[in-house]
Amino acid sequence: MTAVIPSEATPGTDDRAAGSGRRRPRAPRRSGLSFRTRGEIALFTGPALIVYIGFVFVPIALAAYYGFFTWNGVGAPTKFVGADNYIRAFTDPNFLKAIQHNAFYVIASLVVQGPLALLVALLINRRIRLRGMFRLLLFAPYVLSEAVAGVAWRLLLPPGGAINAILGGLGLDSWKHDWLGDPSVTNWTVLVLISWKYLGFAVVLFLAGMQSIPDELSEAASIDGAGYWQTQLRITIPLLGPTIRIWAFLSIIGSMQLFDLPYILNGGRPATGNQTMATYMMLYGQERHMYGFGSAVAVILFVLSLAVALVYQRLVLRRDTEGALTRGVF
Amino acid sequence: MNRPKTSRFIALAAASALTLGLAACGQDGGDEGGDWGDGNASGKVTLTWWHNGTAEPSLSYYQSVADAFTADHPDVTIEVTPIQNEDLQTKIIAALQGGDAPDIFAQWGGQEGTDQFNAGQVLDITQSSAAAIEAMGAAVDGWTTPEGNVYGLPFTMGIGGVYYNVDLFQQAGISQPPSTMEELADAVGKLKAIGVAPVALGGVDEWPAAHGWYWLSLRECTKDPRDHAAVTKDFSDECFVKAGEDLAAFAATSPFQEGFMSASAQQGAQSSAGLLANGQAAMELMGVWEPAVLKGLTDSGELDFELGWFSFPAVAGGKGDPKAAMGGGDGFSCWSKTEAPEVCSEFLSFIVNVDNQVAFAQTGIGVPVTPGGEAGLADEVLKTVAENTAAAPYVELWLDKLFGNNVGGALNTAVTEMLGGANTPAGIVQSLKDAAELE
Amino acid sequence: MADRRPGIEIRTRRGAKVVASRRAKRLTDRGERNPLVYLVAVATAALTAAPVIYVMLGGFRSNQQINTDPTGLPNPWKPSNYLKVFADPVFWNESKNSLVIAVGATVGVCLLGVMVAFVLARYSFKGRGALYAVFAAGLMFPLTVAALPLYLLLGQIGLAGNPLSIILPQIGFQLPMTVVILVPFLRAIPAELEEASIIDGTTRIGFFWRILLPLSVPGLVTVGVLGFIASWNAYLLPMLLLNRTAEYTLPLGVAHYATEHSTDTAMVLAFTSICMLPALIFFTILQKRIVGGLTGAVKG
Repeated sequence: MTAVIPSEATPGTDDRAAGSGRRRPRAPRRSGLSFRTRGEIALFTGPALIVYIGFVFVPIALAAYYGFFTWNGVGAPTKFVGADNYIRAFTDPNFLKAIQHNAFYVIASLVVQGPLALLVALLINRRIRLRGMFRLLLFAPYVLSEAVAGVAWRLLLPPGGAINAILGGLGLDSWKHDWLGDPSVTNWTVLVLISWKYLGFAVVLFLAGMQSIPDELSEAASIDGAGYWQTQLRITIPLLGPTIRIWAFLSIIGSMQLFDLPYILNGGRPATGNQTMATYMMLYGQERHMYGFGSAVAVILFVLSLAVALVYQRLVLRRDTEGALTRGVF
Repeated sequence: MNRPKTSRFIALAAASALTLGLAACGQDGGDEGGDWGDGNASGKVTLTWWHNGTAEPSLSYYQSVADAFTADHPDVTIEVTPIQNEDLQTKIIAALQGGDAPDIFAQWGGQEGTDQFNAGQVLDITQSSAAAIEAMGAAVDGWTTPEGNVYGLPFTMGIGGVYYNVDLFQQAGISQPPSTMEELADAVGKLKAIGVAPVALGGVDEWPAAHGWYWLSLRECTKDPRDHAAVTKDFSDECFVKAGEDLAAFAATSPFQEGFMSASAQQGAQSSAGLLANGQAAMELMGVWEPAVLKGLTDSGELDFELGWFSFPAVAGGKGDPKAAMGGGDGFSCWSKTEAPEVCSEFLSFIVNVDNQVAFAQTGIGVPVTPGGEAGLADEVLKTVAENTAAAPYVELWLDKLFGNNVGGALNTAVTEMLGGANTPAGIVQSLKDAAELE
Repeated sequence: MADRRPGIEIRTRRGAKVVASRRAKRLTDRGERNPLVYLVAVATAALTAAPVIYVMLGGFRSNQQINTDPTGLPNPWKPSNYLKVFADPVFWNESKNSLVIAVGATVGVCLLGVMVAFVLARYSFKGRGALYAVFAAGLMFPLTVAALPLYLLLGQIGLAGNPLSIILPQIGFQLPMTVVILVPFLRAIPAELEEASIIDGTTRIGFFWRILLPLSVPGLVTVGVLGFIASWNAYLLPMLLLNRTAEYTLPLGVAHYATEHSTDTAMVLAFTSICMLPALIFFTILQKRIVGGLTGAVKG
C-alpha cells in the first residue's frame, strides 16, 4: 500500500520497513533482532497483550472449559458431561430458531441498510446546505446507548403507545400491532430498530470512504458529460468497494451478536419470537443458572462468528488490505 | 415481593406456622443474642444488605428495619441496597462466587440454598439465631438443609389466588366469585360485555402466564406426580398435558387484555397489575405481593375500588384437591465470610422479631411468618389470604421454584409460548423433559 | 494491493495529501440546488431523529398529557421533570461513574493501542503478521460472547464492583478496532521523519513519544471517540458486574429508573433524554474528526 521505506539505516533498528511485506529488508538479519529491539517490542506490546489475553482470550478459554460441565454456579464445576451441552443446544428448537432470527437480521440488515445508507451518503456528500446537521441527525441514534434507546422505544411501542396512536391518526388502524409481543411482528420491529440505530454508522463510514476517492476521477467523468448519478454509479460506488465490504463485515458480526436492544425491549425471549443467540445464552447463563450450558452457547456463538468471518475473509475481503483480518497485511 | 421467588417449603409447615401463630401471640421471637457489641473490640461494623423491595412501601419498610437496628447498635452501619428482583437473583450468585458478597442477602432457600450452604457460602445460623428459629416453628424448614442446618430465616409466606375488582364484578352482574372453570368462563363473558379486560396478564415476564398452568396442574394432578416430578423430573403423567389443554381452552375465549404478550407484570400503568389497579382489567392471578404492587401503581397510592380475592377455581374431573393451594416465601441469609457473623445473625433474627413482623404486616406487603406478626394485618384481602393459607389441605411451592430455575424457567417459557400460539400442551411437557435432560 | 484497479494510485498517498485533496473536493463541488435531494435528506433525517425528539419533548409533558394523547406536543410546557432530574444526586453520581469508566477505558485503549500499532506499523520482525492477526481477530468477538465467563472470572479475582472490572475488559475488547485503525495511520507517517530523528540521535522510543505520538493525534481522536462512545454506552458488562446502585452507570441507571418509576412516564422520558445528551454533544463537537479518522481507516 504505502511506499516501501528502505531500511538500510543503523543496525539494531534493522527493518522499519513499514508497508510492503514482500520487500524483505536488505540489511543482513544476522541472528534476528537486537536485544534492544526485542526489548522495545516487548515493552510496547506487553501491556496490551496482557489486557487483551487476560480479558478476551482467557474468558473464552474459560467458557470452553465450563461448557463441558453441568454447573449451577455454586461451588466448583464438577459434573462433567462432555459434549452434551453442545448437542442439546443444536437439538433445541428454540436455539435453532434463534440462529434463524440472527440470520434474518444479518441478511435483512445488509439488504435494508446498505442501499439506504449508500443513497443517503451520496446525497449528503454533495454540497448541500446544513450538511453537518443532516449528518448529526442521522448519526444521533448510533451514538445513543442501546439501553437508553431501548428504554425509549419500549415507551413508544406498546399497544397503547405513540406508534399505534400515530398509525391510528393516519387512519391505518389495520397496521396497529403489539410490536413487542406479537411473535409474527417482533423480528420486524427489531429489524427496523437496528436499521434506525445503525444506519448512521454506515452513512458516516461511506462518507469517510467517499472522502478518499480522488476528485479528479469524477471531475474527469463530468467533463466527459456524465451526469451526477451516472458518475456515482460508475465511479464512486465501485471505488467504495473496500469500505462497503468492511461495513458489511461489521454489520454481519453485529447482527450475529445482537443482545442489548432485544434484551431491553422485551427480553428477547422465545415466547415473543425474537430470541437471538446472545439472549438465549444469557437466558440460560443468567436467569436459569445453567452456567455450563450458557458457556457452551457462548462458545458456539464464538465459533459461528469466527467461521462466518473466515468465510467472508476468504470470499469477499481477500482483496482489501485492511480487511485482512486473519492474516497480516504486510 | 416482585415475583414468586420462594423456596421449597413444606406445605403444612406454612399452614401450621400460621395456625400456631394465632395461639402464640405473646411469645417474643426477637431480641435474642443482643450482647455482641461488648465483645467486638474493633467497634464499627458496616453490613451491606441486598433486598428486592425496590418500590414503596417495601423500600421504606426495609430502611426502617435497618434504622431501628442501628439505633440500638450505634456501632453498626447498615448499607441497604434495593436491587431489582431478577437482577438480584443473578447478582447474589455472582457475588457469592466472586467473594465480594453482601453480608445479608435475599434467600429463597430450597435446593439452591442447600447448595450454597454446602459450598460454604452462607452462614450457619442454627445456634446463633436459635431463639428466632424456635419462635418461627416449621416455617423455617424451607431454609434448612436436609441435615438440619438453618442458613436463612423467612419473613413472609403466602399463597396465590385471583385478585379481582369487586366493583367491576358487580357492574358486570357477577354475584359470586367463580369457583369452577365454567363459572370463570361465564364471568369472562360478562366482563367483556362491560368493556373491560377480564383477566390481566403480564406475558413478557413469562412467570405470570405460567401461573395459570401451575394452578391447573394443581387441580388436574394429585400431589404425587408433581412432587415425584420435582425429584425425578419425570413428567409422563397425563395430568400435565391436561393442565395445558385446560389453559389452552381458557385462552381460546380471549380472556386477556390486548397486547398481553408484551405487557410486563408490574411495571407501569400498561402492565397487567397497572391495568387492574386502574380499573381497566377485572382480575389477575397473582401471589400475596399483589395488593402492595397494585397500590404502588396508582397515582394516589390507594385503590379507588374494593379489591377482592378468591382461590383458583376447581376443574371438573380434576384429580387434584380443589382446595389445595400454591405459594411461597421470602427470606434472608448471611454471607459466610461476613466480617461480623454474630451481628449479622442477630440482624436476621431482628428482621423477623414480632415487632418487625407486625410492622411488616401493617405495610400490607405480605403475610408475616413469625407467630404474632399477623396481628398487624390490616388489609382485609391479606387476612383472607392468611386464613386460606391456614385452611389449605396442603400448599405446593410455586412450580418454577419446586422444579428449580432450569426446568421451572423452561416451563414458564413454554407456557407463554403456547399463549402466543407457538407451542402446544404436549409441547410444554416435552420442553420440561428436554430441560430436565440438561441437568 | 489497492493499486490493482485504475485510478486508485492516489490512495497510496500519505495522509497529509489526502487531507489536501479533501479540501479541494469541497471547493470543486457545486452547491446543490435539486429540491428532491433536500426532500430525501430531510425525510431520512426526520425519521431517524423523530424518536429522539419525541422522547425529549415527552419529558416536557405531564403524565396526564401523555396518557390522554400519546402523540401531542407539550401543552403547557413543563420543565419541572428536567429540573427534577438535574436536582437528583443519583443522576450526577451515575454520570460521574459513567465518566470514570469511559475516560479510563478511552485513555487505556488509546495508550495501549497506539503502542501496539507503533510496533506493528514500524517494526519488522518474525511474527508481526501473526500478532496483527491476533488483534484483528478480536473484531470477531464482541463482548457479548465473553460476557458470561468474564463475569464469572472477574468475580473470582475480586474485581466485581470495581470500575476496573468494566474498564479492563472494555480496553481488551476495543483494542482490535483501535489497532486496525491506527496501524495504517502510523504507517502513513513519512519514513523521512524517522530517519531524520535517528540521525539527530533520538532513540526509537524517543521518536515514538516526541514525533509519532503528536502526529497520530487525529487517529487517536477517532479511536478515542469510538472507544468513549462504546464504553459510555456499555450495558451488558456493567449490568452483570456493578451491584450497588451507587456504582451504576447511566445506561444501567436509565433501565433501573424506568423500572423504579414505571408509573411516571414523563419523568422516565426526561431522564432518558438527559442521558442522551452527553453522547450527542460529544459527537456534535467531534463529528468531523470521526469522519476524518475513519477515512484513514477505511481507505487502507
